[in-house]
Amino acid sequence: MSHGGGEGAEPNLTPMLDMVFQLVTFFMLVINFKAASLDLTLKLPVVGSARPVDTKGQDELLILNIDLHGKLNVYGMPKEPAAYIAGEAQASLLAARKTKPTIKMGDDLPTTVVIRADKTTPFKLLNNVIKLCQDHGYRKFALKAMNKSD
Amino acid sequence: MSRKRRKQEDVTLNLAAMLDMAFQLLTFFILTFKPAPIEGQIDLRLPPPQPITNVNAKQQAGSNTNNTDPVQGVNSLIISVFPTPSGQIGSMAIGEGNVASLPQLETRLKEVLADPGSPFDQVVIQVGSGLHYENLMKVIDVCTHQKLSDGKPLNKLSFVELPTDGGGG
Repeated sequence: MSHGGGEGAEPNLTPMLDMVFQLVTFFMLVINFKAASLDLTLKLPVVGSARPVDTKGQDELLILNIDLHGKLNVYGMPKEPAAYIAGEAQASLLAARKTKPTIKMGDDLPTTVVIRADKTTPFKLLNNVIKLCQDHGYRKFALKAMNKSD
Repeated sequence: MSRKRRKQEDVTLNLAAMLDMAFQLLTFFILTFKPAPIEGQIDLRLPPPQPITNVNAKQQAGSNTNNTDPVQGVNSLIISVFPTPSGQIGSMAIGEGNVASLPQLETRLKEVLADPGSPFDQVVIQVGSGLHYENLMKVIDVCTHQKLSDGKPLNKLSFVELPTDGGGG
């Protein structure tokens, strides 16, 4: 084994830099900005047959986080359900007109409402939100659940 | 202005600064990394609650003097779920017949919907206002497993809120 001189020794940083850039690239690719729209404090019910569905970005989604007091939480901000859903329905209608110009207020909207409710939310509070959505033309719903407990 | 010329061989990049920056980026991504839980979902088509009787079909059935089938013209099957005060499932019923448990509900639904003469194409779930979402999902789960008499999966559901939480059946 040979020993190098102490004064002239300079570490070769290139492989380390390569590795760090690979790690940075990995984390940049897996970062999920959609997760910001999910309220991860909610405890979803566990239903064995609930399966992850990949819509491949084709369907527009309206994600509603409903806590056990029936309050709506959007990107961490509490929202008034009636006003928020009315505003989103208006936006969905405008977006739907791009592909179907004849669609009008009251017609079935193509957007899927994704309901993420706490497992102890009483039906009365949940039904209020569902009815608001139905009144604004939403028909497609996806009820979120975990398929196994954490 | 005079310029000093250096020999090409002497030029070495100082990678330490770039490495510092890369490590800072890496630290940021590691600290903010929070993988979202893999969630499943149950897809439903939820039209607003409608009359449980198909009016046209009922009129035809009513005017047919040979008709002896009391449910002809009715196309919605009604499931009632009565909660306990703590939001659990207290009792359930299909139509007016009580069912004791979820497995029994599943068996009974299968019998009713798979019958070739079954007129039902949708299910109306009447739910007590205090039932927890978790327990509602169990009932929905049982319903969405079912197939109609024509072989299509049942995914047309409606919810109706029962006025009181009183246990019934």
